[in-house]
Amino acid sequence: MTHILESGYAFWNPIVWIIVFIVVLIVVYFFRRRGQKEYKKDTDQTRIFLCGGEVPEAGERHIRVGNIYWGFFETLKEYYKQILRPHTGIINDYVLWFVAITAVSALVLLIAGLAK
Amino acid sequence: MAALITQAPILIIAIPLVAAFLTPLIGMASKKARNALVIVSLVFVAFLVFALARDVVINGIHVYTLGATSPGQTIPTGFMVPVRIILEIDAMSAFFSIIWSIVSLAAAIYSLSHIANETGQTRFYTLLLLMVTGGFGMMFTGDLFNLFVFLEIASISGGALIAFRTRFGDTQEGGFKYIVVSAIAGLMVLFATGILYGQYNSLNIAILAQAIQYTTLDQIALALLLIAFAMKTGMVPLHLWFPDAYSVAPASITGMLVITSHACMYAAFRVCFTLYGAVIDAPVVGWILIAFGLLTMFIGVTMAVFQKDVMRFMSYHAISQLGYMWLGVGVGLAVLGNPGLLATYGRDAMSGGIFHILNHAMYKPLLFFTGGALFHLTGTRDLAKMGGLAHKMKWTTILYIIGTLSISGIPPLNGFSSKILIYESVYQFNPIFTVIGIIVSILTLASFTKAFHSAFMGAELPEYKGVKGVPRSMIVGMVILAAGIIFITLFPAQIVNWILHPAADALIDRGAYINAVTGVIP
Repeated sequence: MTHILESGYAFWNPIVWIIVFIVVLIVVYFFRRRGQKEYKKDTDQTRIFLCGGEVPEAGERHIRVGNIYWGFFETLKEYYKQILRPHTGIINDYVLWFVAITAVSALVLLIAGLAK
Repeated sequence: MAALITQAPILIIAIPLVAAFLTPLIGMASKKARNALVIVSLVFVAFLVFALARDVVINGIHVYTLGATSPGQTIPTGFMVPVRIILEIDAMSAFFSIIWSIVSLAAAIYSLSHIANETGQTRFYTLLLLMVTGGFGMMFTGDLFNLFVFLEIASISGGALIAFRTRFGDTQEGGFKYIVVSAIAGLMVLFATGILYGQYNSLNIAILAQAIQYTTLDQIALALLLIAFAMKTGMVPLHLWFPDAYSVAPASITGMLVITSHACMYAAFRVCFTLYGAVIDAPVVGWILIAFGLLTMFIGVTMAVFQKDVMRFMSYHAISQLGYMWLGVGVGLAVLGNPGLLATYGRDAMSGGIFHILNHAMYKPLLFFTGGALFHLTGTRDLAKMGGLAHKMKWTTILYIIGTLSISGIPPLNGFSSKILIYESVYQFNPIFTVIGIIVSILTLASFTKAFHSAFMGAELPEYKGVKGVPRSMIVGMVILAAGIIFITLFPAQIVNWILHPAADALIDRGAYINAVTGVIP
């Protein structure tokens, strides 16, 4: 029974990858074991330190979804402006798209059929 | 056992149908008995599906003629053509039915807790079983008109299930949109069926495939069928209804709706490869599928990154992943007429596309279920209101990570196996398509990381301190799908050799499909 998936140019064997992953985990565990032994859970050692200032409440310091990838959306502002335009939420528009795409596809097939 | 396998095609459709109508009766007596009926019937159907699929792979295509003295008697004595309803199960239909049986069972188990506080649970399970019937019917029928009938059964029950939680306004809107879109798609399928019936005097797919000429009317019928099914799968730019409907349904139903999209994809494949296989302008239709597939991948994922509603986010990703499947199968279709290219990379591209359907059927419902678990716990779909939920949902967090790594194509998970097949085969067709595929994968990972951080990471938020964890049956539903992911991850080569290559070959070898009904190799 072979686990090797042939994919044209190359091959893929998940078992090899999993073995490598387990070896890496063992190495990571080894380094972790060599860490500070004095660490104590749920003491001042584990409190968040922000330059000595007051740490905000959990809800206030959590970075919410609206703030993630801000730069990405700012850069692609124009793309999103265009791409959001057909997303009107109106079912009439959706049906119009269906009619248009069906008509274009039928035309392409008919023209290709004539050219054959 | 042999008799059971002979009768399996009709039993797989009939059992959920009968159970659907028994559910309200038994539900009046006992809720537990009703739930047991739903689960037991789906477990038995799953057993039959696996037994039938095994038999199809070993012994070839199964046909089942309704009302005949023996199921194999497709053409009655004294007739030249089939006059009865015929179910025809080849490796491709068997492949899709395996997916449908696993996901519907997982969804039913997940629903036990997910809808436990809703009213009208009996109606829910009746509709769920009707949807299961419709899905299996679409996959098994060898008849165009019955394809339309089963499509309608799946669509109407699906629409009702989307609108099931009547206390929310958006569920009614989503259900309405789904029904309108499904009705239009269904009418176009019926119209195309009428066009073909008017010309060839038959509704049987095998007989039509043998007789089809590719007249102007046939070309119009092809466009109607292809675009109607493409709209039901959520292909861009016909995807606009998809997030509106999928995001508001109960999560278990959203998982099942993903597979009804796959069933429509199956129908589109059947039309392109089997019905029109001999006459189709394969490069043109192949390129149409490739173009729409690339658009679907890219626009789907860029819209997903933008979302703040967890279920809309998942819905756009479902759209994006469907693009990979269209791309893989589109490349296979584009080189269908060239045996050299088909053997070099076309068959691998098709197998990759079909493999991705299998993987998508495992990780996408799993991710929808995790989204449903988030909603169950927090009462909101808004990611901006979530945070620190890993403290409360340890199992869901682990299952979300498994789904995320899988959908993003991170090795060694199963998503990688199908994506590498698509990338490497499509690369030989056009390297740019592979580059687009990899970019889409990167964006997929980026957006799932964003959602993961928003919902699960961070300190425990005060508003969720008192909430209870996710109920056990919801976890079990998710674990079934995660187990499917792990299994496919460990045995990709076996899956490809035992299931996917036979499924791809079933599409390519239309002669076998026709021969199973007519007894004559065309």
